[in-house]
Amino acid sequence: MFPKKFNKPPLKDNTSFEKVKLMSENSNELVVNPAPHIHGPMTKNRMMQYTFFAILSTLIVSMVLWSQVTTPSGWNLGLTLAICTVISVGLAVAFDFLIGKVASDSEVNTWSAAVFGLIVTGCYTLGFPSMAIGAEMGVPVEAPLAFYYVAIITVLGLVVFKKVMGLAGRKFVNPAAAAKFLVLLPGTAVTLLTSWHSITGMLSVPSLNGPIGLTTIVGSNGGGAGYPAFGGYLQSCYQLPTSMDIGTPESITQIMLLTKYHGWTGGACSIAVIIAGTALFILGRKYFKWRITASFLVSTAVLSLILSVAFGDADLIARLLFELFIGSSIFMAFFMATDPATTPYSGVGQIIFGVGLAVLTVIIQTFMGFFGGSLLALLIMNLLTPAIDKIRINKPFGR
Amino acid sequence: MANLVHIPEQKEVARKTPIEIFPDPKIAVVLTNQQSGATNVPLVKVGDVVSIGQKIADVQAKVSAPVHSPISGTVIKIDNVYNSCFEYPTEAIYIENDGKKTKAKPLNTIKESELASTKNEELLKIIREAGIVGMGGAGFPTSVKLAVPADKPIKHLLVNGAEGEPYDTADERVMIERTANLVRGVRVVRKLLGNPKVIVVTKESKVEAVPKLQEAFKNEPDTEVRATHLTYQQGDAGMMQKAILGYEPIAGKRSYEMGTIVQNVATINAIANAVFDGEPLISRVAALNGDIPTPKNLMVKIGTPISEILKANSITDCGSVVVGGMMMGVQLATLDAPVTKRTSSILCLNKAHAKARKPTACIHCGRCVSACPIRLQPVAIYNAVIKGDFKKAEKLWAQDCIMCGTCSYVCPANLPLASNVKMARNSQ
Ligand code: SF4
Ligand code: SF4
Repeated sequence: MFPKKFNKPPLKDNTSFEKVKLMSENSNELVVNPAPHIHGPMTKNRMMQYTFFAILSTLIVSMVLWSQVTTPSGWNLGLTLAICTVISVGLAVAFDFLIGKVASDSEVNTWSAAVFGLIVTGCYTLGFPSMAIGAEMGVPVEAPLAFYYVAIITVLGLVVFKKVMGLAGRKFVNPAAAAKFLVLLPGTAVTLLTSWHSITGMLSVPSLNGPIGLTTIVGSNGGGAGYPAFGGYLQSCYQLPTSMDIGTPESITQIMLLTKYHGWTGGACSIAVIIAGTALFILGRKYFKWRITASFLVSTAVLSLILSVAFGDADLIARLLFELFIGSSIFMAFFMATDPATTPYSGVGQIIFGVGLAVLTVIIQTFMGFFGGSLLALLIMNLLTPAIDKIRINKPFGR
Repeated sequence: MANLVHIPEQKEVARKTPIEIFPDPKIAVVLTNQQSGATNVPLVKVGDVVSIGQKIADVQAKVSAPVHSPISGTVIKIDNVYNSCFEYPTEAIYIENDGKKTKAKPLNTIKESELASTKNEELLKIIREAGIVGMGGAGFPTSVKLAVPADKPIKHLLVNGAEGEPYDTADERVMIERTANLVRGVRVVRKLLGNPKVIVVTKESKVEAVPKLQEAFKNEPDTEVRATHLTYQQGDAGMMQKAILGYEPIAGKRSYEMGTIVQNVATINAIANAVFDGEPLISRVAALNGDIPTPKNLMVKIGTPISEILKANSITDCGSVVVGGMMMGVQLATLDAPVTKRTSSILCLNKAHAKARKPTACIHCGRCVSACPIRLQPVAIYNAVIKGDFKKAEKLWAQDCIMCGTCSYVCPANLPLASNVKMARNSQ
């Protein structure tokens, strides 16, 4: 697979030339490899370590925030998250080790497995069930059922999507996203069939396919799509479950940016994700695909504003806050959409990827009523990556 | 925008160490071929007595450069030796030193005052007979490079004093200690090219060399010393034209087609020695550096076995010896290999550093793509090459690779990208 080393030529002994023994005295061979002979400081393991600690820090923020909540089943939400993290990371590392031992052509890659475990937990939805949004269909959001689901997603993702796909040469889809999607598909498939939802729709989420607003007062939207009291939905869905606040635009904004008590565990505090993610990009300069994150966030913002104007929303920020800062968008933008293996390698490709991801996410969330639709969008874009890689805009030097 | 990767220079001690003259070798191993172009044949046979500067190998061909004896003594053997110029052993003339230091007749020279009235053909002939080749590593005969067709006016002469390779300091010391000689050499080259504008390009990190150059070139006509921030990759002739003159030379065209000649300082130094002093190219400055306590800059005779240099400096414990730079040089398979005209440095790696890094699977991070200074996609070419698909590699412009090694340097999976791209390039 790798180029053959230069063959060491035989030394002839019948020479009057003083034969050099300097290093061969200890029968040490000189190492001969192709150039270059020095290497930069970055290695795969280091990249994975950086990522691990970045995601871990956001999860710790979530744990601390969520330790204030106790779900109906009697589990502390912060503790639930901590246990989920231990389960997913532990299982991922253990299975990675086992597979590495059993299958000769699979290398043990502890840090990579650990990052995978964190992502499984980070994109899992936890929270306080049966609130204003009604039953969470097919998504067990509290312990102890959540533990089993996290474990299943971890093992499925690691074995099928990480290892088996790795054998095929390269991974086509983000393993954590694919596994979660597959496991939860029975519960979420129904949402894909419905073209739009109102508050009474299948997933019991408000429709974004029409004018919305930050107000918390339920008004009439004339019987069509859209949900004028979208702010009220956000407030009741994401605020501390014990709180009975009605909410103001300020408090809603604060919730979306700082403390969401429901949703993707990794995205509970959007600001924490942004800080950890940015720190990661700065630390691992140029090795992480920050262009995807940046182009995703920018195009999501632009699209939300366009839709707000097109639908005649009561204000411009309701849609913006939702599309940008729900956990599934913000966590995915920084830590899942930038997964190296399943995203394009050129800078231009990464921007195309980010924009495509934003378009799909917004479309899915607006017209299909599948909140957290970024997961599906990510899988679609992952599959398109080989095609995006073929796009070349800049020619080589002097061509 | 160019993709440029910073590579630590590692020159702190070496750049302050004056050039030291290394004693003549007991046995010189002079490669018959140290240049690119036509193959030389030996002009001497075993038993012949040769003197310093005597031509010992040459060939009648357009692109060629002769080789001279660095020492006086007897030819004891003509045999193949593994060396740093080729990937396989090639012919070398072994000369045993008699210690008499007898000198051969010097080359024709011209006086400095006569330069303007000397015909270009005559200068080029001196340069050819002196055996001067590109000493930055390429080894292209300089007399051919400087013989620019009359209908191709040259606007710029870039004197390449960037020395981008980490650890290498030979050019820097030449700029510091042989500044006056460089001025003479630049005059010759400028005359040959029809008086273009001269830009002496160097890095601002060469704090000792910059003022020396500025002082020396102060009164030269139409000459500028440009000390800027250049990365390793910008030491390449094409990249340098982009950095200094702002255009990208068209791929596949000879340098003079763009109206610019880039000439390395070591070569210019050799030109001055040949034209005014009649000295053929029989010695050069090479840096001795790497994982050793006392880096040095040595004036060595071409043909000195590397082992002799290491032994004289009591370097016994290295895992590998790199000749010609950490990024682009080769690792020697035997220490019998001699110093050649292209040996800009001899770098020792300790056993830990010499150990090959284990390549793992590509993680598709795209770093190699953003690092390639000439905007190739090393990972795509690599994938094509390991499948044996050289057609595809060609479509991906593998032939444009400048072999800078940056892609391998940055790859977090330790893949040997550069050598694979080079394989595709050489298969074209
Ligand atoms: S060695 Fe070739 S492919 Fe690699 S970075 Fe340099 S120019 Fe690009
Ligand atoms: S730098 Fe290495 S790991 Fe990254 S894409 Fe290129 S070949 Fe793959």
